[in-house]
Amino acid sequence: MRRRDFGAVAATLGMSGLLPARWAQAQTRAESLRVLSEAGPNSFDPIGIGVNRNAIQLHWNAYDRLLRFGTQTRPDGTLYFDYYTIEGELAERFEVSDDKTAITLHLRRDATFHDGSPVTAEDVKWSLDRVLGIASGRAQFSTGSMTSPDQFVVVDAHTVRVTTPRPDRFTLPNLAGTYPVIFNAKVAKAHATAADPWATEWLKTNVAGGGAFKLDNYVPGQSLTLSRFDNWKSGALPGFRRVLWQMVPNAQSRRSSLERGDADIVQDLPPQDAVSIAQAGKVKVVGVPMAGAFQFIGMNSAKPPFDNVKVRQAVAYALPYQQMFEAALFKRGQPLFGGKPGEADGTAFPQPLGYSTDLEKAKALLVEAGFANGFDTTFSFELSLATVAEPVSLLVQEALGKIGIRVTIDKVPGGQLGTRLEKKEVPFFFEGSAAYFADPDYFFRIFYHGPTRWNFGSYNNPEFQALVDKTRYETDKAVYDADVSRMIALVKQDIPIILLWQPALDTGMQASVEGYKYLFHRQLELRTLKRG
Amino acid sequence: MREKLALLRYILAGNPVTLLALAMLVLLLGCAILGPALVPYDPIATNTASALQPPSATHWFGTDQLGRDVFSRVVVAARLDLAIAFAAVLLSMAVGSVFGAAMGYFRGWLDTAGSRGTDVLMAFPLFVLAMAMVAALGNSVSSVVYATAVINLPFYIRLARAETSIRRDMGYIEAARVGGSGHARILRVFLLPNILPALVVQASVNLGWAVLNTAGLSFIGLGVRAPTPEWGIMVAEGAQFIVSGRWWIAAFPGAALMLAVFCFNLLGDGLRDIVDPRSRT
Amino acid sequence: MAFLLRRLAGVVPTLFGVVVAAFVLTRLLPGDPAVFFANSVTADAATIAAVRQKLGLDLPLWQQFLVYAGQLLRGDLGQSVGTGQPVATDLLRLLPASAELTLVAFALAILVAVPLGVAAALRPGSVIDHACRLLSTAGVSLPTFVSGLLLIYIFYYQLGTAPEPIGRIDPFAIPPPGITGFLLIDTLLAGDTEGFAAAARQIVLPAVTMALFALAPLARMTRASMLGVLGSEFIRTARANGLRRRKIIVSYALRNALLPIVTTLGMVFSNMLGANVLVERVFAWPGIGSYALDSLISLDYAPVQGFMLLMATIFVLVNLVIDLLYAVIDPRTGLFHA
Repeated sequence: MRRRDFGAVAATLGMSGLLPARWAQAQTRAESLRVLSEAGPNSFDPIGIGVNRNAIQLHWNAYDRLLRFGTQTRPDGTLYFDYYTIEGELAERFEVSDDKTAITLHLRRDATFHDGSPVTAEDVKWSLDRVLGIASGRAQFSTGSMTSPDQFVVVDAHTVRVTTPRPDRFTLPNLAGTYPVIFNAKVAKAHATAADPWATEWLKTNVAGGGAFKLDNYVPGQSLTLSRFDNWKSGALPGFRRVLWQMVPNAQSRRSSLERGDADIVQDLPPQDAVSIAQAGKVKVVGVPMAGAFQFIGMNSAKPPFDNVKVRQAVAYALPYQQMFEAALFKRGQPLFGGKPGEADGTAFPQPLGYSTDLEKAKALLVEAGFANGFDTTFSFELSLATVAEPVSLLVQEALGKIGIRVTIDKVPGGQLGTRLEKKEVPFFFEGSAAYFADPDYFFRIFYHGPTRWNFGSYNNPEFQALVDKTRYETDKAVYDADVSRMIALVKQDIPIILLWQPALDTGMQASVEGYKYLFHRQLELRTLKRG
Repeated sequence: MREKLALLRYILAGNPVTLLALAMLVLLLGCAILGPALVPYDPIATNTASALQPPSATHWFGTDQLGRDVFSRVVVAARLDLAIAFAAVLLSMAVGSVFGAAMGYFRGWLDTAGSRGTDVLMAFPLFVLAMAMVAALGNSVSSVVYATAVINLPFYIRLARAETSIRRDMGYIEAARVGGSGHARILRVFLLPNILPALVVQASVNLGWAVLNTAGLSFIGLGVRAPTPEWGIMVAEGAQFIVSGRWWIAAFPGAALMLAVFCFNLLGDGLRDIVDPRSRT
Repeated sequence: MAFLLRRLAGVVPTLFGVVVAAFVLTRLLPGDPAVFFANSVTADAATIAAVRQKLGLDLPLWQQFLVYAGQLLRGDLGQSVGTGQPVATDLLRLLPASAELTLVAFALAILVAVPLGVAAALRPGSVIDHACRLLSTAGVSLPTFVSGLLLIYIFYYQLGTAPEPIGRIDPFAIPPPGITGFLLIDTLLAGDTEGFAAAARQIVLPAVTMALFALAPLARMTRASMLGVLGSEFIRTARANGLRRRKIIVSYALRNALLPIVTTLGMVFSNMLGANVLVERVFAWPGIGSYALDSLISLDYAPVQGFMLLMATIFVLVNLVIDLLYAVIDPRTGLFHA
């Protein structure tokens, strides 16, 4: 017996007589969407301390930004953001000056905030200044050469100009990113205090914006209800009038309610569930390889034994990639192993690093490195990644055992691994991360460069570092491509981190849900969703 | 000695449940001691080609995500789970009884301070305290042992303190004192052996609880490290697969866990009957 | 009254001890919250330093403790970074969920355990006695995460008789006005019988899971206590006087056996409240246990400390209530006259 079939309207109204009292009677299932995710937002403010990934899903849909990335369609029909096309959102159009140091943005004249007040250049200026006023916002904006409020100029009530000291490819993408949401400045300022000039306390728990959805109700840790902002002007009106977003920590529970038809969308399916749900065929699973996201095995190249490039290469040749890909990831993703060894294969990055399993070669390299008898090391991973990392670690342990490297596995609670990585104390580990912007030099700057923990391999090759700096403001495409090719060749040879794959973002949804769009931040775009 | 054996036989005959428990204990200990030598497959060797197979003649309990034989892992895990439980219980019994006996014997500030400390410890939510301790000490078997020992400690301290308090003013202790025995000797020779039976009963009851605690910690991802087979971890790993119909990965280690705890609890009861005949019925 | 005051005063040092111990324990956790919460890939050393300062973790430990103690005295439990809410708000919101679950499970356990224990005591050594022992031992031997998963698999996934094991109430429901926070009570107060039925359906599986575990100590203590009383002089006298069996059992034996049972009840209750982390995990129950666990894993100090303090306070209060109950059940203890 199937307990409920929410596909039928009758069930919505008939079942137990409870439902009419709940959602307004006129509302039909067709216009409402129920989303399940593991966790909910811990802040409605994009910038702040410890703001989680789920927060993006709220402020992405409840706020507008000046600009957004364009849309392309994948072969399977899924919509996908297009990093290299930037279009207006709150800005109906924008112009870049000939010397590429000024961007003039023209706001939509009819756009209003949720409270009905018009969106003005002052609101925009306050919102952009605010990003610079908070430490993590300042760090992000500096990647787009925006460091001083003087760079944001109000031209008139509906025009804003952003200037940069020199042409910067990352200014526009930064404006289309997750941080610079446009706040209703009058409302926000009313809640600012001397100690808290940017109203961070208030905006953490309140929405003052003009995005496509309004926040109706929030029960922390449980559910969140959104309704469509019918006066939204920055795009086609969303297909759903109401969205109920619930947090369900247990993956099995999420999956069950999707398969029973209770939930419309379940986010972040674990790989094995994505496979078996897709096989069962009752609901659809949209799997999109996550752009910029990657999972990898890191080695601390600043300390022995991994300071020896031959050791790192030996490890890279010893790993059982195909087995890991099948047993841990159930093939839900794009492999980054195999491919062209030693040199660049195009200028996109991440790309396969050119290593395949070859135990003989691994053994030989280890002997050359002076570790004929192998060595002992510890392999760490974070508790929250365990579903994938656990099988990976076991296969790594077994495979390296064959070439004499004795591995102890250490599963570390989330908060601890980050600290140890920051202190560069972890010799050998599994991790995952993601870069929002697709330029290869941006990726290298974060993950192969500098003193932060994000330089996971503690990579420090002078030639490479020089190229990272050189490409920062490079505008000549040919020079840029040549430099990037060289950098790719270097990281393939030096292999400070072994990229394994780009995992797929698997989202399960009812067959009737259409218009799913993959975004760089991997959270749901509610604007394009509709029921077919 | 013969009398004791006769009594044991009498008790066991009148209590088939304890007999059953004893048989199960023998089975469990057998698994713990001989298991690794007997199992058909290497419990940590992966074979991704035969992953997620249902129970069959070749794999009695099926295989897990990495193609490891669930039966072999369940059997081998007995050693670690039992070892942790025994170590933790012995540790807290040893520390708790000495400390509690000293508190009951000397009274004074030691007693006051000790009792306050015990009150504080008792007031903590014990499982969460264990979680915090393992998180603080690092993920390892020894952390689990210490955490489990600490949360059991108050029971032993209180018990030893109470039992000592009753006896300290009894005639034979008085006599020993007059006879020139020092405090240490009195505690060691006259008091501890007398309170031991009560402590042992408490320990046997606690064993099952220690196994549950260990498994619970592993279930939420704290404690025992992979690839060592452990029942709690195996249930946690298998739990992800239950909904897709692969019930065997979680079900068999879960059943083993239940069986072990069940056996310890029954034995605890039985032991209580033997040591403390007054409560026997 | 003096007794009550004395007991209350005795509670203070214990709670202070808990506050100190919880503070120290969280600070012993390896890992730097500032690093963890500066979680954007563009975060640099300056960002981390700013976060550390904002969280007040740049102060020496003793100053941090003084700040925390000062907050506590003002009734402020601090701020959770993970949920973005004040800890006190979080706990108040989540406690009713845990308490409701625990109380229902507790009631279920008593309803089964006490009659079972009495029946076993009336016929020691009989089939009922052995069954009681087996059942209660089996219950306490079931790891809650195993029995919970089993119940979900059978009753939700296979049979479909139980509702989704997600939280406390049907997700499409508008919750009743939050008067007590206990859905079972609030729905009734609002006259919403169907809401009551829905909430009851949600709570059955987790409550049964917990009740199974709590059965054993209660049944065992009831049995032992009843056995002791049944063998005593006055029961024999009552029997000799030809009083009816039912009357003897209920009004004489059970009442006298209550004392140790009540003590066990208190212990079991506070243990359940603190130990239902795993049940909450399995059933996605929005309670304080999962909250504490999440906070612990993510180095969120304030909620962990707040949770421990809350649990300790409840523990101490329950013990106090038991002492008072003692006085009510057994006036001989004379607590109110001392």
